[in-house]
Amino acid sequence: MALVSAGFTAVLFLASCAAVQSGADILAGTGQISESDRQSIAKTSQAVSATFSQITEEQEYYIGRSVAALILAQYPAYDNAALNTYINTLGQAIVYSSDRPEIYAGYHFLVLDTEEVNALSAPGGFIFISKGLIRRCKNEEMLASILAHEVGHVCSKHGLQAIKKSRLVDAFRVIGTEAARRYGSEEVAQLTTAFEGALGDVFETLVVRGYDRKYEHEADDLAVKFDVAVGYAPKGLTDFLQTMIGDSTTASGKGWFKTHPSAEQRMDKVKSRIAALSSVPAEASVRTKRFEQSVTALK
Amino acid sequence: MKRPIPLTMTVSLLILIVSLLVAETLTVKVQSTSLRNTPKFYAPAVQSLSAGEKVEKISAQGGWIQVRTSGGVVGWVHSSAVEVPKFDLLASNKGLKTQASASEVALAGKGFNKQVEESYRAKHKDVSFAWVDRMLQIKIAAALVEEFMKKGKLGEFGGGQ
Ligand SMILES: [Zn+2]
Repeated sequence: MALVSAGFTAVLFLASCAAVQSGADILAGTGQISESDRQSIAKTSQAVSATFSQITEEQEYYIGRSVAALILAQYPAYDNAALNTYINTLGQAIVYSSDRPEIYAGYHFLVLDTEEVNALSAPGGFIFISKGLIRRCKNEEMLASILAHEVGHVCSKHGLQAIKKSRLVDAFRVIGTEAARRYGSEEVAQLTTAFEGALGDVFETLVVRGYDRKYEHEADDLAVKFDVAVGYAPKGLTDFLQTMIGDSTTASGKGWFKTHPSAEQRMDKVKSRIAALSSVPAEASVRTKRFEQSVTALK
Repeated sequence: MKRPIPLTMTVSLLILIVSLLVAETLTVKVQSTSLRNTPKFYAPAVQSLSAGEKVEKISAQGGWIQVRTSGGVVGWVHSSAVEVPKFDLLASNKGLKTQASASEVALAGKGFNKQVEESYRAKHKDVSFAWVDRMLQIKIAAALVEEFMKKGKLGEFGGGQ
């Protein structure tokens, strides 16, 4: 009964969008309105349904898989089972205390075989951290803070927000017209074009352009929040940023330095965020010890 | 003269009534999750649940929901693993429609799915998914995460808040 009702509402909604749109198509066809008018009417009629928040968990996963594949085409994976297990165990501990611990296929972490200082997260929980970045961490708190920052990007769907609205409008148009799960070749071609566009938007943002600064500061806020929730000293983040200030590779303008606000800018905000907390967990030597053991392969 | 009740009002009213009746039914929206016997990720699993399965809400506690499966099994799931019906009694008519159209359940398997990935891969044979699939194979058992937290004095075993 509930399903029928929800389905009925959805059909009504989609039908009304489709009606406005086909009306606009007809008018454009007869030359009564211009092509740009037709497009803007089409966009407006679909606008309500075309936001990143309407990308389902499953679609987020499929976008993430391909973005991850593109990242791995750029940077090779570091095939070290012991180190990847350590990173994943630490990562899961953070995920458990995060805002969105359960996502479609879970969170997965992988070390990238590059000296470049970088950490990236594709939608759907594919999180990467470079050897170069791990090498600059001195303890588990610093590493945890970087991973928590990346988990924060995934929790808040920052990657999905990089997707241009036009891709979603195109995709939702096909989704709205096709009832079947298995698409015909024309629908697949249309969806694939929108998919390629969406991947390009996310990849470009992650690897080349960087997110909007407000998302980076939000991810830093979340890193502090998750650190404290799981029991890590949030000064791991400021300690890491401090090592980045004056790091000679900063000038290289690669990786994190290209896509993230400067360490100085981030430092100020993170410090005031931490100062506002009533109590914060302390560092523990037992964690520093196991960190040192876990990363020996890199030293 | 008797004025007919507008169709939209009738529909809204119907949705309202139905949503009141079904407000406690949740749908699993992740590929798979566990029904746990206490509200913790490393609590023993009672049974596994997969995408699309429906469960009835019993109670809630700090991000966790106690549920009953169709088979009558009771346990805890994290709220991020299930779709909670979003029908809001105070929402506008437009809001109701928008939320209904965004349902994970209604869109399951649609849009960017396996078929679209296959089509993308056929066009971009140079893009390898081998490591993506290997990454997905890295699964850390909750018991190992618990041990890691215990040894590292994290969470409830240390300074977690
Ligand atoms: Zn970031």
